[in-house]
Amino acid sequence: MTAAAPPLRPRRVGRSLVLLLPAVLFGLLVTLQWRTQTERSELSVRYNPPLIDAANALQNEQNRLKTELAGLRARLDEIQRNASTQTGAERELQARIDDLLGSAGLTPRAGDGVVIQLDDARNVSVSSRDIDKSICHATDLTDIINTAWKGGADAIAVNDERIVSSSSVYCVGSTIMVNGTLMSPPFNVAAIGPQNGLLGAFDDPAQLQDIKQRRDVQGLGFRVTRASAIHVPAFSGALNVRFAEPH
Amino acid sequence: MRTNTGAIAMAVVALFLGVAAAAQFRSQDVYSRSLQLETPSSLTTLIANLSDRNNELRNEIFDLRRDIESATNSVSSGQGTLSEAERQVLRLRVFSAQSAVAGPGIGIRIDGGFDERALSDLVNELRNAGAEAIAVNDVRVGPRSYFTGTPDRAIAVDGHALRGPWIVHAIGASDVVYVAMTRTGGIIGQFEVIYRNTHFAVTKEPALDIPALAAASR
Repeated sequence: MTAAAPPLRPRRVGRSLVLLLPAVLFGLLVTLQWRTQTERSELSVRYNPPLIDAANALQNEQNRLKTELAGLRARLDEIQRNASTQTGAERELQARIDDLLGSAGLTPRAGDGVVIQLDDARNVSVSSRDIDKSICHATDLTDIINTAWKGGADAIAVNDERIVSSSSVYCVGSTIMVNGTLMSPPFNVAAIGPQNGLLGAFDDPAQLQDIKQRRDVQGLGFRVTRASAIHVPAFSGALNVRFAEPH
Repeated sequence: MRTNTGAIAMAVVALFLGVAAAAQFRSQDVYSRSLQLETPSSLTTLIANLSDRNNELRNEIFDLRRDIESATNSVSSGQGTLSEAERQVLRLRVFSAQSAVAGPGIGIRIDGGFDERALSDLVNELRNAGAEAIAVNDVRVGPRSYFTGTPDRAIAVDGHALRGPWIVHAIGASDVVYVAMTRTGGIIGQFEVIYRNTHFAVTKEPALDIPALAAASR
């Protein structure tokens, strides 16, 4: 920029400098004005505060309910395990329960695997047309989870929400919910399983092409790293079995 | 003449700097998402979703309290906890896709071009709508199931190649799941725009049978 401007005599530099401040201010104003307009059109200032309060209150209530549920599950488990009259049949059933709890994702797991970090592009200026490509979407998370299962993952959690048979990644506006819990980026997907298989699945150029391209072009945060002694918590949500009858 | 050129050049540079400075400032906070930036309609949907989840948690807490009470009584009367344990086994087998199940739900028939990412998104949407058991062409989708494409345009579920037309069955509250799939702007509507030559038919089903997960996929 400065290389383009030839050396000027002091008086002329002074005259140019007079323009500098208004021009910078004008630029700032134009941009801020544009920004304010786009945001105002997305927001309804009147209804948001009570709705946000309600959403936060429900999320806090959910956290309490999950803690209570975990406590009750542990209590029932303890009663069954300590039943002083445990017969052979009961011991056998208990072993089956333990096995099922493990495969359903209701027990915490620890082990080696990979951690995948996904984040919105930070500190980059992109045109509004590209904003969509520079932020994380629910489908990015479902693609990552699918790739991890394909790579042989045994247990997966997204920001400490365990992925089980009923898990879904849900997106409303720009807010993401996993297992019905509100989340915001960055996302840490912890996958326990064979590290080489997992890394192989993520490195496969045919997998996650869209995410990799957005990482390279729009600066989307996406990183897969080998990790040891990862902790994946137990699923803390409800086991909804109301309509499906076993037969 | 030269003065003007210099001044104009300087002004242009300064204008650019101003825009860049503001854009930089903007880029640092526009992506930090929060509920503040959601529309009232998105927030209302979020609230409905949170409220449903909390009700499910409350129901399960209620059931567990009852189970704990009856287990405690059984133990103190010397009967053992066999019946609670058996109930728990049945429930966990359904939840982990290890038992075949029957129940009401919906069927989605997909006739035409489709792919593994779309199928994975459809399964995600069904789970979000509360589907309790899902199968594609009678192959059960389990907790660790994954979807891949095959060179001949079939879709593989856990490595089993399935050819179209694909029939997806989901057991759950059929009205709720049906509406979640077919509502305006819902996933089927989106698919109809993206896969123009593919036919999607969603039906409510009073009685579906879904097989257990294959032993190798557990």
